[in-house]
Amino acid sequence: MLEQIVHSVKLLQPETALAVTFCVLLVLDLVVRRKSNLAAWLALLGLVVTAFFVLQQASSGQNSIFFNMLAVDSFSVFFKFVILASSFLIILFSLQSDELNSGTRRLGEYYSLIIALTLGMFLMTGASNLLMMYLSIELTSISSYILAGYTKEAEDSSEASLKYVIYGAVSSGMMLYGISMLYGLTGAVDIYGINRALTEGDINLMALMIASILMVAGFGYKISAVPFHFWTPDVYEGAPITITAFLSVASKAAGFAMMMRFFKVSFLDPTVGNLAMGAWASFQGFEWNQLLAAISVLTMTLGNLVAIWQNNLKRLLAYSSIAHAGYMLMGVVVLSNEGLAAVLIYFVVYLFMNLGAFYTVMIVANKTGSEDIEAYKGLGYRTPLIGVAMTIFLLSLTGIPPTAGFVGKLYLFAALINGKWFWLVVIGALNSVVSLYYYVRILRNMFLKTPERSAEPIQFSFAHVTILLVLLIPTILLGVYFGPLVEYAQASLVMFGIQ
Amino acid sequence: MNFYDTIFYFFAFVTLVSAAIVVFSKNIIYSAFSLLFTFFGVAGIYVLLNADFIAVAQLLIYVGGILVLLLFGVMLTNKVVSVEMKTGTLQTIPASIIVAMTAGALCGVFYMTDWKIVRSVPQMTTTANSLGEMFMTTYLLPFEVASVVLLVALVGAAMIARRDRAIQNLKPKI
Repeated sequence: MLEQIVHSVKLLQPETALAVTFCVLLVLDLVVRRKSNLAAWLALLGLVVTAFFVLQQASSGQNSIFFNMLAVDSFSVFFKFVILASSFLIILFSLQSDELNSGTRRLGEYYSLIIALTLGMFLMTGASNLLMMYLSIELTSISSYILAGYTKEAEDSSEASLKYVIYGAVSSGMMLYGISMLYGLTGAVDIYGINRALTEGDINLMALMIASILMVAGFGYKISAVPFHFWTPDVYEGAPITITAFLSVASKAAGFAMMMRFFKVSFLDPTVGNLAMGAWASFQGFEWNQLLAAISVLTMTLGNLVAIWQNNLKRLLAYSSIAHAGYMLMGVVVLSNEGLAAVLIYFVVYLFMNLGAFYTVMIVANKTGSEDIEAYKGLGYRTPLIGVAMTIFLLSLTGIPPTAGFVGKLYLFAALINGKWFWLVVIGALNSVVSLYYYVRILRNMFLKTPERSAEPIQFSFAHVTILLVLLIPTILLGVYFGPLVEYAQASLVMFGIQ
Repeated sequence: MNFYDTIFYFFAFVTLVSAAIVVFSKNIIYSAFSLLFTFFGVAGIYVLLNADFIAVAQLLIYVGGILVLLLFGVMLTNKVVSVEMKTGTLQTIPASIIVAMTAGALCGVFYMTDWKIVRSVPQMTTTANSLGEMFMTTYLLPFEVASVVLLVALVGAAMIARRDRAIQNLKPKI
């Protein structure tokens, strides 16, 4: 017993580093009275240390620690990298955000909560016990509620926070109900035990289906899948833009990681098919992937159709992020390693292009104080660099070659075709066409409309350009040279407990 | 229905009715007081489930601590006693259809499923000891994570409640 705990603590180093950073930042905020950016730099340092530990984990093989509470495997390490990269970028964004740095607002707590949020998402990627899943979702949610309302003086920020809390409470209540039903059916709280109970058979599939629908309420809320998406537009619009960007990428990645682990480990029949070869089989008569397929279609269609009507860029990107969650769900529906790898690839691509789009919106909002599409009139002539960067991010979000978004969609659709899900491919492709319309609407405003006379070019510093390039280069580079990414994603599919 | 079942239904009834009053009452004082019975009913169910420690903790912390604080908060706040709370209902017909369908499905599932039931319930002993042991061994990680969750919630509560002089000087952005 003691050996296992000692062994587990060694494999918990990244999370420990984050927890320590969180506490240090809290204490620092009490000690240092004057306003400074010290907290941000310390948070960045903490993330670097964490990254070092995650790198060490990458070579430690597949482990399950703390009595099957948490899995440390290649799959979770992959998502930890995605989450770390986005937290790192978000802290850099925050340093430049006028919205946050206005007045004498103190940001010590802000940075410490970002670290706590990262910790919650780390735990989500590895959680292999229903109790741990619930706790990590709560840690992530509570930190994001506070961060969404961090600019208290803005009314829509408080409104966003409140709406987020209410929807969050409902969906975590539903998820808890699902957990209790699953426990009642299988008598196990860890996903390996659930799988064992299902293999032994004799379980009411109707009850199992309802339990998994309730579980999907919890996951769907995190990844903002229809019909659990209602909070997304309001929260994304009201929250500080750095937090919006963070929620749209990292929170979604963590939610997907947890959902994929839950479904793959607990609901796949290990006696049928060959998991190592990538052919999965769900239990006889329990077609949970049909449920996910329906959610996926609803999610992307609604996201894309509603996005057409949006004039606020934050809101538009919120609906576009709902649509992207729908695309990525298609990869889970296929029930193959290929589909899963496609989701992983998509997430890396999505990280750069979506954060890039949000970063551009932030730079423009810093200058003009507006996120309205009208503020983008003639931006391509006023400030060519920003205009061109935004164009590339938007084209990538649509999935037009040679950008990275194309590669992401290519692998998703290829997996679907190999899995014989032709009708889903058609719907996905049609949705991409619809999405082109509203992305191009922004482009039209930037390049085909003349700027108003009073509009000045947007000033930006060297730091702005650096961050913009850090996001821009991968978005283009991954579109033409994606071999290593694909290989790494395919090697990262191993989850503990599945041979 | 044996004696045990009768007690269970009694506590379940108390919990549900008082919870309904918490939600539907227009007077916040009534809501706060009927929350007392909700907590009490839940504590009773815990006792029936042989979870003596949790039942006591429920009484001590929720009834003894949180509820009293809540009541003080309500009473010390100006005018809150007389404030009419908005408890309007919207979209009654679609909501009731969905609720009826969900409730029907859940009830159906509950009757048709044979749940995993432990038949041999061990003799009731104090659970505090084994709970403590499990917190330090099998459930060490959730226990520690729960403390982080609480810390974050605490920071958030302080953040929301704090009056920020600096921020008041800022003009609200419209």
